[in-house]
Amino acid sequence: MAIEDKSKPAVLIVEDEPLIRMEAVDMITDAGFKTYEAASADKAIAMMELHDDIGILFTDIDMPGTMDGLKLAAYVRNRWPPVAIIIASGVVELERTSLPEGSSFFPKPYATSQITKTLHDIAVRLH
Amino acid sequence: MNDPQAVLRQKHASALNLTMSVAILAPRGRDAEVARQLLDKENIACVMAPSLEILTNYVHSQIGAVLVAEEALIGTEIEALQQSLQVQPSWSDVPFIVLANGAASSRSAGAKKRMDALRNAVLLSRPLHAEELIRAIRSALTARARQYEARERMEKLEIREQQLYESEAKFHAIADSVDQMIWSTLPDGFHDYYNHRWYEFTGVPNGSTDGEAWNGMFHPEDQELAWGKWHHSLATGEPYEIEYRLRHRSGDYRWVLGRAQPVRNPAGEIIRWYGSCTDIHKIKVAEEQRQLMLAEMNHRVKNTLAMVHAIVSQTLRQADNLKDAQISIQSRIGMMAQAHDRLIQSTWTETKIDEVVEAALVPHRSGQGHFKVEGSDLPIGSKQALALTMALHELATNAAKYGALSIETGKIHIYWDIINKDEDAIFEFNWVESEGPKVEQPTRRGFGSRMIEQALAGYFNGSAELSYKPEGLSFVLKSASKGLTD
Repeated sequence: MAIEDKSKPAVLIVEDEPLIRMEAVDMITDAGFKTYEAASADKAIAMMELHDDIGILFTDIDMPGTMDGLKLAAYVRNRWPPVAIIIASGVVELERTSLPEGSSFFPKPYATSQITKTLHDIAVRLH
Repeated sequence: MNDPQAVLRQKHASALNLTMSVAILAPRGRDAEVARQLLDKENIACVMAPSLEILTNYVHSQIGAVLVAEEALIGTEIEALQQSLQVQPSWSDVPFIVLANGAASSRSAGAKKRMDALRNAVLLSRPLHAEELIRAIRSALTARARQYEARERMEKLEIREQQLYESEAKFHAIADSVDQMIWSTLPDGFHDYYNHRWYEFTGVPNGSTDGEAWNGMFHPEDQELAWGKWHHSLATGEPYEIEYRLRHRSGDYRWVLGRAQPVRNPAGEIIRWYGSCTDIHKIKVAEEQRQLMLAEMNHRVKNTLAMVHAIVSQTLRQADNLKDAQISIQSRIGMMAQAHDRLIQSTWTETKIDEVVEAALVPHRSGQGHFKVEGSDLPIGSKQALALTMALHELATNAAKYGALSIETGKIHIYWDIINKDEDAIFEFNWVESEGPKVEQPTRRGFGSRMIEQALAGYFNGSAELSYKPEGLSFVLKSASKGLTD
């Protein structure tokens, strides 16, 4: 098991599908990051308010509720500008312009190596 | 041609172009013979009429002109001649040249009346003056030729009118029998024709959509586009094509395909526009449904792949060796596939929990009565059904390895119900093993237990707990009852 590294930012994983969320948490924990998880955008915002060590938002797009992943990303970018944003989705036709500037996008299913590399790059940049 | 009769017939036949011939009736003296010789010399064809009766026949046959002596216009046969002059076709007025008896002042009322009845007559006094006669006859034949020309023109016009009538009748027959709505406009786009189908479809009164009123028949959201495209076509002469919603007489809007083409005159100027509207509502709606269905399918396939991705990653993460991982991955994906089959059968919307449980247990039933299953047929959502299938698969696989399914006497009691049947109704699902081998707390948590305690609970938006009691493993899932389907 990976050892949590205090110098790295914590990652908030937002995904409504429990099995996929479970795997995402394992994958990011294995990469050496502290993780938080939320099943919806509302819960994600509550998490952001509670834990100021969250430096990266890792979110799905298609989620139930009033706010989807894109709206969540826009909201987070606006309220917590330093937080890095990674978006992963199975959405087919996605307007690049609908993503917040500087955010990363990965189609689902994604390769673990791609995600961990992006996380590490962000960690180096934020450090 | 030695036969004199045959020669005569031939001559007669050629003389039968009566329309350019002069019929001569002058029974007394040498007038007829003199006239014939004069006409022969001028190459003007003539026929001799020995009696009024025969002259009448020539008039019937549309003779070119008649030269008649006034004294021949007597007797009862004159009525037949007058009769046939009266029934001439509208274009015809046979010219008569009458060789008069003396001065006009000495003519009796009866003789004047007879002259009037000829309608188109000139008088020539005798003795015959050759030049006068020839001029009179030539002018009569010329006037007569004009009558024939008029006849020809009239006949052509009649034929054209008939053709026009037939072509218009044909057009209406076609335009009103096809399934399409057909319309036509002036070069400036003024609508002045719609076929029956248009009025039948829209239910509006005849003529009420003439001019520019047609635009109001279309869906308010499509009017601007239609107006723009139509005016572009009018300005450029380019064909018009648009899909828009036309108000049906039922009040509903239906999708139609509108098309129009200009028709040009030989100079290339547009003289009319002809257009049609075809009802494509069913095709359009089917296409929309197909798109929705495709998007939904794509979404589900992607989701399923993401889940397979998660299962494979999880299994590999926990596996001791590749052989075990292979077996676990295959059985887990196989279980997912089976669950999908069932969900498709129940149209992916609502399925019943008892069917889900029964189907999940089938691969693990070995005919020794290990299972006791109790519960009602509550509806369950597709995500929850899939998660429950996978959880039961993990529980049963574990029981076969270490628990109640690993020995003959082992029992598993599965039961579920809705408790607190009021506002905060709770769904509870239990799996209780007994009479199996003594259970020991596992040293680490595998995919199965995490799947059950974390993922399954997440799908039901509730809590799940595994208890490793020595007398047997038990599991309980609790959630708000709406968690079954939300």
